[in-house]
Amino acid sequence: MRLLVIEDDLTLRETLVQNLTEAGFAVEQAADGKEGLYFAQEYPIDLAIIDLGLPGISGLEIIQQVRAEGKTYPILILTARDRWEDKVDGLSAGADDYVVKPFHFEEIGARVSALLRRSGGWASSQLDAGPVSLDMSRQELKIDGESIELTSFEYKIIEYLMVRAGQVISKSELTDRLYDQDFERDSNVIEVFIGRLRKKMDPDNSIKPIETLRGRGYRFALERNQSA
Amino acid sequence: MNSLSSRLLISVSILLLVFFGITIAVLDTAFSEAGEQARRDILDGQLVALLGAAEPDDQGELALPDRLREPRFGQIGSGLYGELRNQDGETVWRSKSALGLGIPEGVVPEVGNHLFAREALIDGTPLLTLSLAVQWEFDDESSRPYVFKVAESLDSFNAQVGRFRGQLFGWFAVIALTMLLVFSFLLRGMMKPLRKIEQEIGEIEAGQRVSLSDKFPTELTGVARNMNLLIDSERARSDRYRFTLDNLAHSLKTPLAAMRALLAGKGDQEFGQRCNEQINRMDEIVRYQLRKPATSAADKLVLQTVQVEKEVARLIEGLKKVYHEKAPQFDVSVEAGMQFRGDTGDFLELAGNLLDNACKWCESKVRISIVPSSTDHGISSGMILSVADDGPGIPEDAADALLQRGMRLDESTPGHGIGLAVVNDIARSYGGYLAIKKARLGGAEIVVSIPPISSVR
Repeated sequence: MRLLVIEDDLTLRETLVQNLTEAGFAVEQAADGKEGLYFAQEYPIDLAIIDLGLPGISGLEIIQQVRAEGKTYPILILTARDRWEDKVDGLSAGADDYVVKPFHFEEIGARVSALLRRSGGWASSQLDAGPVSLDMSRQELKIDGESIELTSFEYKIIEYLMVRAGQVISKSELTDRLYDQDFERDSNVIEVFIGRLRKKMDPDNSIKPIETLRGRGYRFALERNQSA
Repeated sequence: MNSLSSRLLISVSILLLVFFGITIAVLDTAFSEAGEQARRDILDGQLVALLGAAEPDDQGELALPDRLREPRFGQIGSGLYGELRNQDGETVWRSKSALGLGIPEGVVPEVGNHLFAREALIDGTPLLTLSLAVQWEFDDESSRPYVFKVAESLDSFNAQVGRFRGQLFGWFAVIALTMLLVFSFLLRGMMKPLRKIEQEIGEIEAGQRVSLSDKFPTELTGVARNMNLLIDSERARSDRYRFTLDNLAHSLKTPLAAMRALLAGKGDQEFGQRCNEQINRMDEIVRYQLRKPATSAADKLVLQTVQVEKEVARLIEGLKKVYHEKAPQFDVSVEAGMQFRGDTGDFLELAGNLLDNACKWCESKVRISIVPSSTDHGISSGMILSVADDGPGIPEDAADALLQRGMRLDESTPGHGIGLAVVNDIARSYGGYLAIKKARLGGAEIVVSIPPISSVR
């Protein structure tokens, strides 16, 4: 998942980016409103964390412009202003949730996961589809209750596909959303990881969780369970 | 007596009363004196006529004929009386008109002098008398003193003066009333700009107007201009206050957030925990101070008109996003078109904190109801805001402690933290109060009552 962090305070931004990267996200960062707006409009991102009190263009304006352009990815506001007037303004402008400074990183992590899940139409952090169960909070994948060992990148791929279960995800989208900017981009790597994931999740090729659509990409093919 | 018009009317009435009083007194005196002088002249003439008619009789005594030229001397009770006394004070002659009436002798003037006097008959009838003492020389060259006296009843004169006074009072009363009437009409016209200013200030207080108009007479333009400046500076002060608070919040809380983020990466858990506790305390103090009411009901001129229905809808839309997973059911009961006179931020703070707490604690239901607190349902009416949930509720003993939290920041109660204290502070700044009850839904019900602006002084 690729996140965008727009925060003018250097220390806060860097620690936030570091924590989010450690949590497995690819993170873009911007230090002011102008740069932030450009990234928010042009970069393929899955969620934006925007500080309201930014120099240049305010966080509120960024949210309004992004929404006006039809971007639907979730937006989490960071605000030092604790008044409801500011929170309501932000939420009305198109943000999906807010976190008031100073915050614990765990709080940001939980809100980000919840928003990503919500954007994929999942109600809880446990994504259940057929025998496959993915616990986003514990970053754990189980098949029929059996835990499957995954590398960090394999987890990122299955999480991205499962959150968007049913949707066709192109190779380039996967590359964009999962690699860091400076990572070597090679679409063959995605094929290799998908192949490994299939072997780990479905060694006897019976449940077929990941479908390949020739020339279009991949799709997590299992039906979501009713309670999910 | 507080109205300028009544003060002016009372002052003018007193002035007219004094002026007309003095005028009436002067006219009355002049009329009475002129009347009396005319009567003296008449008496003088009658006395001369008596002197002319007096002749010594056969006994050598001075006498007057039975018929005199003035017929009133011959008519009983005619009001004009004549008398002649000798040197012993004995009445030598008395006119028929004075028959049966005792004319007082009165003061006798020196020979050769005449004397006017006010006397009275025995029955009390007031008289104006003229006495003349003469030394009458007879043909035998003897001479004896005599006193001629004429008197006229003042009854008719007094009646005439009375009638004159009556007419004087009547006419002056009519003139005074007419003048007062004209004056009050003029006053109405002159007071119109003042009433307009008063009306426009009322409209500003009611949120129907932002400043005074400029259509006032020259004498009031300065007042209107200064009033507008005052209102503008009050608004600017209020905006500046909020702007400063926003900046303060940003410049204090961002470093706190950075500190917390830095601590999260450190290995020393105990150190991190202790630092986080301090950060929490600083954060709570800053949060509480920064969320204090932006204004109070006393600043009527800078209050806004808050569209309650619209703001509540915005809040609930926002909260639905925040509590997306819990998805509480909102039951909203807000009177259509209801307005609240106050600061929009304060209103959102009141409703936002209560709704946020309710969403946090509810099982699945949150109910908000807002009704005007006064019966007139006017713009300046206050409101009763009630938010209830179906959560575990607040025990009675904890409720008091929660309300006192604004005064004791060092105590921390998770969940219903600063929010309720902020709500309590805002309610109090608008002259209202907060009550914690058990909701019919089963959980807590917080009721905020804000009185109408007009009742807050």
